[in-house]
Amino acid sequence: MPETSGKEDKQGKSLGRIAIIGFFAGLIWGLVGFVEKYLNFSKVGPSLILKPWALGDWKNHLLGEFIGILLICLLSIFLALLYKVTLAKIKSIWMSVLFGFFLWVLVFYVFQPWIPGLETVRELGKNTITTTLCLYILYGLFLGYSVSFEVDSSKDSKAYSNK
Amino acid sequence: MTTVVKKTPIHKRLKDNVDYLKSRLDIGPFNFDVGHRDLKMLGKEMSIFYSNSLVETPVIVALIQNMNFITDNHNGARNMFDLLKTHFSHLQVSEITSLDEVVDKMLSGLIILLIDGENVGIVVDTRHYPGRTPEEPDVEKVIRGSKDGFTENIIENIGLIRRRIRDERFRNELLQVGERSKTDVCISYLKDVVNPDLLKAVRSEMKKINVDGIPMADKSIEEFILKQGWNPYPMVRYTGRPDVAAAHLLEGHIIIIADTSPSVIIIPVTLFHHVQHAEEYRQVVAVGAMTRWIRFIAIFTSVFLLPLWILLVQHHLLPGNLNFIGPNKHNYHLPLLFQIILAELGIEILRMAAVHTPTALSTALGLIAAVLIGQIAIQVGIFLPEVILYAAVAAIGGYATPSYELGVANKITRLILTVLASVFGVPGFVIGVTVFIVYLARVQNLNIPYLWPLIPFNPTGFYNIMLRRAMPTARIRPSILKPQDKYRMPKQDNG
Repeated sequence: MPETSGKEDKQGKSLGRIAIIGFFAGLIWGLVGFVEKYLNFSKVGPSLILKPWALGDWKNHLLGEFIGILLICLLSIFLALLYKVTLAKIKSIWMSVLFGFFLWVLVFYVFQPWIPGLETVRELGKNTITTTLCLYILYGLFLGYSVSFEVDSSKDSKAYSNK
Repeated sequence: MTTVVKKTPIHKRLKDNVDYLKSRLDIGPFNFDVGHRDLKMLGKEMSIFYSNSLVETPVIVALIQNMNFITDNHNGARNMFDLLKTHFSHLQVSEITSLDEVVDKMLSGLIILLIDGENVGIVVDTRHYPGRTPEEPDVEKVIRGSKDGFTENIIENIGLIRRRIRDERFRNELLQVGERSKTDVCISYLKDVVNPDLLKAVRSEMKKINVDGIPMADKSIEEFILKQGWNPYPMVRYTGRPDVAAAHLLEGHIIIIADTSPSVIIIPVTLFHHVQHAEEYRQVVAVGAMTRWIRFIAIFTSVFLLPLWILLVQHHLLPGNLNFIGPNKHNYHLPLLFQIILAELGIEILRMAAVHTPTALSTALGLIAAVLIGQIAIQVGIFLPEVILYAAVAAIGGYATPSYELGVANKITRLILTVLASVFGVPGFVIGVTVFIVYLARVQNLNIPYLWPLIPFNPTGFYNIMLRRAMPTARIRPSILKPQDKYRMPKQDNG
C-alpha cells in the first residue's frame, strides 16, 4: 500500500533528522566546551568523556579534546533518540533545560567516583561549576527542544499540506 | 465594540447637502484646503466637492470640460445622473449614498459630484498625493541589483511589488486604521502559499487596533500586532526594497504596507532574517556564502568581543599563547569597565550627532571625533589604546549588522554582558549568556520560535542560513512558515 510506505518513509526521515539534531548538539556545544576550557573558564573540557578509560597520553592534549567532541557527537545521537521516546511529548522548553541539568547532576555527582581525575563538585571551584552547568543546560535546551519540536512538527505537518 | 454608526443619507435637495457639508467641515476661512464648486448644466444645479491639497487639478479641469462636452452633445437628456456616470472619461468612478462617505472620500482626495434631485453621489478618484519618486533606500544599499525603493505612497509601493509578482494569486487587502487619521494599511500575501491561520491571526489583530491615529505608520502597527514589551530584539523585519519584499512574499511571508512610510513590514521572522542582506543574493553562491560568514563574525564580535576581553584580562584567564593581549602595563588610572562604558557612550553620542549633523558639517564632525576620541583621550590618560581598539571593533561589527534594529539590540546585550563579566567574572558572564540564549529561545514570534533554525535545530533551515543556496536548488519554502504550497517549483508538463 503506497500510503503506509509513505508513512514509514516519513518516520524514517524524522528519525534521521533527530539523529542529525543529536550530532549537531554534540558538535556545537562540544566546541563551545573546548573554547571554554581553552580560555580557562573551566577545568574540564570535552576530553572528560575519555577520562574513565586508560588510553595513551594523547587524551590529555588537543587531540584528546577533538576525539572527545567526536565521541560526544555520537553519544548525543543516542541521547536525542532517547529523548524522543521519553520526554519529547512535553513541549515546554523548561523540560529540556531540566534535562540538561539532570545530565550535569548525573556526570558530576553520580558518575564522578568512576571518572579518575574529576574532582568532587566541592573542589571544582565556582568558575568550573557555573561554566559546566550552563553548558549542560544549553546543550539540554538545544537537544531537547529541537527533538520535541521535530516530533511535534512531523506530527501535524498534514494540517497545512497542499490540498 | 459594536456601536452602530448611523449614517446620514444624501438629501434630494442639493442645497441641504451643501449646507450640511459646509457646517460639518467649516468650508471657508477656517478650513482652506477643502472646497466646493457649483455648476449649472442643462438647467440642473450640481456641485463638486474636493480637497485641493490632495487632488490633481488638471484632471479635474479636464473632467469639467468633458462634462460640458457630454451635456452639449446630449441636449435634452432626461437623466443627468446616468448620463454623467456613464460618460465620465475617467477609470475610477463609483456611487455613494451617505454624506459621511462624502466626507471620508473628499478628505482622501477624491472628488464628489452631487446633483440636485439625486440622493446618490458620483465619486471620481483624482487623487494626487504629495511625495517623491522611488530611490534606493539608504540603509539597504547594494552594488548590483535594482535601485528602486519604497516611497511614502502606498499605491506606488504596491505597484513596485506588483511589477515583480504578476501572479493572479497575489492579494492586497486594504483596510483603514486610526479613528482620526484613517491611514490606509495593506496586507499583502500569496493566496495559495501563505499559512491561512497566520493570515487570520494578522487580520484579526489589525482589526482590533483601536487608536486615533498612527503617524509613525508601520512602527505603530508593529507595536499593536506584536506585543513585545521590553524585549529589545526586533520581532519584524523592515525593508525599503521591493525586491526583498517580493522575495519574502514568494517564501510565504506576509507583508504589511502602511501609507506614509517608505518601509514595509515582513512577518513572521526569526533572528536569522535580520542577519541576511540582499547583496548576498546578487553575488555568486560562494561569494554570497563568504560575505555571510564574515557578516556573522562581525555580528558575533559586536556582542561578545568586549565582554570576553574584559573578562580575560581583568580576571587573568588568558591562556599561555594569548598572553600578549594587553593591557600589559597596569598603570592606567580609570577602571577598565568605566573606560569601556565611557567609550561606548562616546561612540553612541557620536553616532547620534552624525545623524543630526548636516552633510556640510559632517566632515568637521568626523575630524573632531577622530582626533578627540582616537588620540587626545589616550594621550591625556583617560583611555587605554586597547579600550579604544576593542570598543571600535565592536562598534564596527554593530554597523555591519544588516538590520539596524538588531544592531541596536545587540548593543544593549553587549553592555549588560560587559558589566556582568567585569563585576562577577566567569560565573557572571556564563550565566548572563545562558539566560540570554534561553530567553531568546523562549520568545515566540507569531508562534514561531525566535531562534529557529538554530534552537530548535532544523538541518535544512540551518544549511540555508549558513550557506546561501543557488536559486535552482532552493526547491522548498522554509518549513517554519508552514506554507500551503511547500514547493517553490511548480510542476511542469513536459508533454
